Amino acid sequence: MELTPTAEDAAFRIAARDWLLANRPSDPAPRDGQASRDYATRWLATCHAAGWSGLAWPTDYGGQGLSAARLMLWYEEYVRARAPSTLDCTFVALNHAGPTIIARGTEAQKAFHLPRILEGRSIWCQGFSEPGAGSDLAALRTTGRVEGDELVVNGQKIWSSYADIADYQELLIRTEPGASRHKGLSWVICDMTLPGITVRPIANMAGVTHFAEVFYDDVRIPLENVVGELHDGWSVAMTTLAFERRTAALALQLELSVKVEDLIAMADAAPGSATAERLADLRAEAAGLRAMTWRTALREPATPFDGSLMRLTFAELAQSIHRAAMDVLGPAGLVDSHWSYDYLESYSETIAGGAAEIQRNIIAERILGLPREPRP
Amino acid sequence: MSFDLTPGEDLRQILDAAQSMLDSHYPVARLRDGGADGLDPLVDFGAFLLALPEKEGGAGFSVVEEAQLHVAFGRHLVTTTALATAIARRIEPEAVAAAGVVDGDRWLAIAPRDASHILARTDEGFVFAKMGAQSDVVPFGASRPMARIVPPPDHRRADRETDHTACLLVAAQLLGVAIGARDLAVDHARTREQFGRPIGSFQAVKHHAADMALGIEMVSALLDTAAIALRDGHESVGFQIAALVRIAPRVALETARAGIQIHGGIGFSAEADAHHFLKQAHILRQFIGTYDMLQDPAPLAPYGKDVS
Ligand SMILES: Cc1cc2nc3c(=O)[nH]c(=O)nc-3n(C[C@H](O)[C@H](O)[C@H](O)COP(=O)(O)OP(=O)(O)OC[C@H]3O[C@@H](n4cnc5c(N)ncnc54)[C@H](O)[C@@H]3O)c2cc1C
Repeated sequence: MELTPTAEDAAFRIAARDWLLANRPSDPAPRDGQASRDYATRWLATCHAAGWSGLAWPTDYGGQGLSAARLMLWYEEYVRARAPSTLDCTFVALNHAGPTIIARGTEAQKAFHLPRILEGRSIWCQGFSEPGAGSDLAALRTTGRVEGDELVVNGQKIWSSYADIADYQELLIRTEPGASRHKGLSWVICDMTLPGITVRPIANMAGVTHFAEVFYDDVRIPLENVVGELHDGWSVAMTTLAFERRTAALALQLELSVKVEDLIAMADAAPGSATAERLADLRAEAAGLRAMTWRTALREPATPFDGSLMRLTFAELAQSIHRAAMDVLGPAGLVDSHWSYDYLESYSETIAGGAAEIQRNIIAERILGLPREPRP
Repeated sequence: MSFDLTPGEDLRQILDAAQSMLDSHYPVARLRDGGADGLDPLVDFGAFLLALPEKEGGAGFSVVEEAQLHVAFGRHLVTTTALATAIARRIEPEAVAAAGVVDGDRWLAIAPRDASHILARTDEGFVFAKMGAQSDVVPFGASRPMARIVPPPDHRRADRETDHTACLLVAAQLLGVAIGARDLAVDHARTREQFGRPIGSFQAVKHHAADMALGIEMVSALLDTAAIALRDGHESVGFQIAALVRIAPRVALETARAGIQIHGGIGFSAEADAHHFLKQAHILRQFIGTYDMLQDPAPLAPYGKDVS
């Protein structure tokens, strides 16, 4: 087992650092709306022009094909340089839709979408959840009826992040009437400008508008927009699980180490005080998360469901750090600041992308082998 | 390869061999009969030579492999004398050292019989001395034999590297204790039935088990990172060790505690093994001591506004 950079690794790290420090935006990111899109796409275009986009994508598709270790070095430099959060409106395209199309898309889909994604020219959102299908995603009911060479889509999605500013949506719908739960679904590329689509933005508890409800009223989508086989959408939706340990979520995990350092600097706690003890715990846990991040990224073969351990550790640590920040701030926490904003945002961490309870079920059942939950 | 966190084939072989040795000589159930662990099977296995250079008669491995060996010892709740001896032999090659803790001017030794030396934890770090005169004390919960020691007049402070090695190996054992407690609890949860189903199908039980897995994953990743940092003399070694010392005892204690709860009545009894993990966690927690987590610079600190 080794964690020592070679001379080339060290040179890569320095090149990344120099570039990031010279090119990171100096103005803060707008929190929502078109301005947030413009900011994110400008930054992605800047990265792309300098050869720093699509780092984990294969070179055949315009990516850089970086090794896991190089990716980690990049993201460590990225968070230390305080480059813009990777969890912006480009996240779904770069880390989910793009990799899915690479794995399962047609040549035409690849040729059209992949360059647009890498250059920051198209923004994607994810339309999986529905009012009746959250944790139980397979309960989804939005339908696509095959009519000639089109799918006619009717139904409703919810919590679709950045749907208000996205060009495309990865849409998971039921295309085979009567098929049971995980069967008969299709993963479809939905152009958000199609007639029959209504987007209703929903404000969140942090006071910004990041997600939306999307209604589909006889929306006609060409069948050629299906990714993978028709009715095989569940397996397409699961494709990216293999890619997950190489996504920009790495940056979010590593960023917690930076946040803890900021918090320690802000708190200036007396040695031995209760606050100092709490900060020491957070610092140690951030180090633990970083060690887990490295190991999960590098270990071969990947251990299945490690993602749940990673994701849950991240989510709960993010919340602890921000709770501590609010306690350190005292009355000042009542006034808007990046800490109080991030504190409120952190409530989503144990809900979005698989709630904490669901992750604990997965860990207990799939990693530890305890009996499965009853299923419908 | 410059970055690689996959355990190598030789490490897997060492651990397989260690597992058979532990299964035959140190099954956890042996603790029900009381009695002290001997060191002979460990000596025969070469446990104390693993990380010594080959020219000193060792096997030429490093603390990275040695740490994993101590994880296995921790799972089997092997006597702390094995742990203290492994560390003490870096100071005195023939020593058999009992683990000890120094609390003000009071010295407490764990399983001190037959030990020539004591390796004890003080507030400042580990100290090494010849074993002093002993007077037995009653150990908590009839766990391991323990004795008060007359403070040895000439004790030696371990150097920084030995301190780090000690912290690493104690943490490795704490991880092993947590893994052992988790495995016992998960096995029980799979087989014990109430309300017509295995108790492991109830979410309250499942989520206790998931929390065990979360803590273990973090300590295990930190252990690898710290062991590599120590072996290779990385600048961040103090920071990594501090993080490990902060988290490993907590995870071992929490896991052992939840393990007892998952067992129900039998977990509270001395006839199941769950309580041994808890007691070992308490002993190791005192032996590892504390380490200032806020003193070393963080390896992932943000750059200031004006970085050169
Ligand atoms: C900020 C944010 C962004 C999101 N972005 C998107 C997006 O872009 N696209 C998209 O498709 N979706 C998105 N989602 C939706 C997200 O995936 C769901 O919110 C999530 O899967 C939970 O579903 P739910 O909200 O319906 O909650 P529910 O499933 O109703 O869960 C409510 C509570 O019940 C618990 N619960 C449910 N089932 C069980 C069980 N079996 N055992 C134990 N407890 C259980 C849950 O853990 C939770 O605490 C987003 C959500 C958030 C908060």
